[in-house]
Amino acid sequence: MQSGPSPFKRLKRHLLATPLDGLMSVLLLALVGWVATTTLHWLFVDADWQVVSQNLPLYAFGSYPPHQRWRPCLWIALLIGLTLLTLLGPRRGWIRKALPLVWIAMVPCGVVLLAGGLGLLPIPSHAWGGLTLTLLLTACSGALALPLGILLALGRQTSLIVIQRSCSVYIDVMRAVPLIAVLFFGQLLIPLFLPMHLEVNRVLRAVLAFALFAAAYIAEDVRGGLQAIPRTQREAAAVLGLSPKQIIQLVVLPQALRTALPALTNQAVGLLQNTSLMAILGLVELLGISRSLLANPDFIGRYLEVYVWLAGVYWLVCTAMALLARHLEHQLSPTRFATSKR
Amino acid sequence: MIPAIQATGLVKSFGDHQRALDEVSLHVESGQVLVVMGPSGSGKSTLIRTFNGLESLDEGRLEVLGIPLDADHDERQIRRIRKRVGMVFQQFNLFPHLSILDNITLAPIRVQRRPRKEAEGRAIDLLTQMGIAEQAGKYPGQLSGGQQQRVAIARALALQPEIMLFDEPTSALDPERVKEVLDAMRSLANNGMTMVVVTHEISFAREVADRVLFMDEGKVVETSSPDEFFANAREERSRRFLNQMM
Repeated sequence: MQSGPSPFKRLKRHLLATPLDGLMSVLLLALVGWVATTTLHWLFVDADWQVVSQNLPLYAFGSYPPHQRWRPCLWIALLIGLTLLTLLGPRRGWIRKALPLVWIAMVPCGVVLLAGGLGLLPIPSHAWGGLTLTLLLTACSGALALPLGILLALGRQTSLIVIQRSCSVYIDVMRAVPLIAVLFFGQLLIPLFLPMHLEVNRVLRAVLAFALFAAAYIAEDVRGGLQAIPRTQREAAAVLGLSPKQIIQLVVLPQALRTALPALTNQAVGLLQNTSLMAILGLVELLGISRSLLANPDFIGRYLEVYVWLAGVYWLVCTAMALLARHLEHQLSPTRFATSKR
Repeated sequence: MIPAIQATGLVKSFGDHQRALDEVSLHVESGQVLVVMGPSGSGKSTLIRTFNGLESLDEGRLEVLGIPLDADHDERQIRRIRKRVGMVFQQFNLFPHLSILDNITLAPIRVQRRPRKEAEGRAIDLLTQMGIAEQAGKYPGQLSGGQQQRVAIARALALQPEIMLFDEPTSALDPERVKEVLDAMRSLANNGMTMVVVTHEISFAREVADRVLFMDEGKVVETSSPDEFFANAREERSRRFLNQMM
């Protein structure tokens, strides 16, 4: 093998080919250097990170009663452990098979741990907050929105005209309204539909509104997956004597969801980030707790520190989600979707 | 004895233009192999797809295994027939998300409610019969076209059908893969399976068919024994078609 030109020569060729190139290179390098030093200087010298370091429990749990903090703590630890197990754990065997169920179980598990009951001291929902609340909002609304979205997508495909039209109208309306409006409607309207004595708490109302909204988008992603499945797949299933329900459940949906998975990942990440809108409704999730901290005279003016920190936390959680999604995609299609080579 | 398929005056049209099936009548005795030939667009596929309700009829009387399947397109009747009639498609249509074994056992387990063990044992037997038992754990995308088509045959046979329908089973295959599929079909016919086969494979038709039905423009042009059909077809249109094929 021939060795290429030395690194120095390569650099010279890429950066200093002509005088104009040279000038541009120098200017750009200077700009990059200046931005990097300013940022680092701010991060390590100018910034006062006390607003973060003194309030870590608040960011994590909100105003959850201190002696009960082990509960959200346990839930987050379980989530982290499960993430690591999924990403790094065994590739085969019963653990792998149980993982999807365990992940689904994390949703009710989180609700019970936070809300109490089953022998745990009940904690009212206004005390929930911080990262715990952000994760709980994401998990609950996702767990509600996914089945609802699948039903909407299937409904849009049926031959029953009433169902088909109402699903279409629902999806179109939800996609035409901004999320924040849906959230406000949820806070104001859901109580109107329910009898007086049955008060639905704010978190539940937010989750419901959020799930109803996200379901419309999920429905469109699933529809894309459904359309990618050739009609002949349904025919092949039908001639085997499978019932219409079995055809959907065993042949159509498993393939459609795999095809829709990248788009659904997008929705999941979007779901997490959109929970920050609930700060406007007065929920003290990550953004909400940050805003209330900034209102504290001790930390006045520390906007940049707080928002940089927040960006970091969101980035970390979103990255974990993206890794999990990529892992899932990989698991579901080792060689199976290789187009048939003859 | 009830004929396997008895059709009288079948009519089917798509949209306004010419009829895909125009007064088609035929019958297939149990244990017989009927080969349907004809130029493309002649209605062969439409015809075979009416036999298990994939296409509905506009007019005519059709009885499959004694079960009527007329223009009213009754879903219950159709499912009763589908449980007793297997079908193999041109494009194999295996389920890409299931392993070969799961492709074959899906219907026996879910439709016939057989225990998994029994269904899997039978699936392996069928794969062995097709000469591809070693592929059981793979996925359709990993198999050649000829192998996939043999899996499709095994999948249809797993329900122990009384009639097998083949809709151009070798048309999507590379030439060197055709023989393995035809061999499988030949041994099926030798074991007494009632078969309706749409195909362009003349040597297969000549050797296996009990009768050859020639269609053109939605009509049955002639029905003859293969010897008669290939040696001296009665109709001008059949002779023209055969000249082009050979």
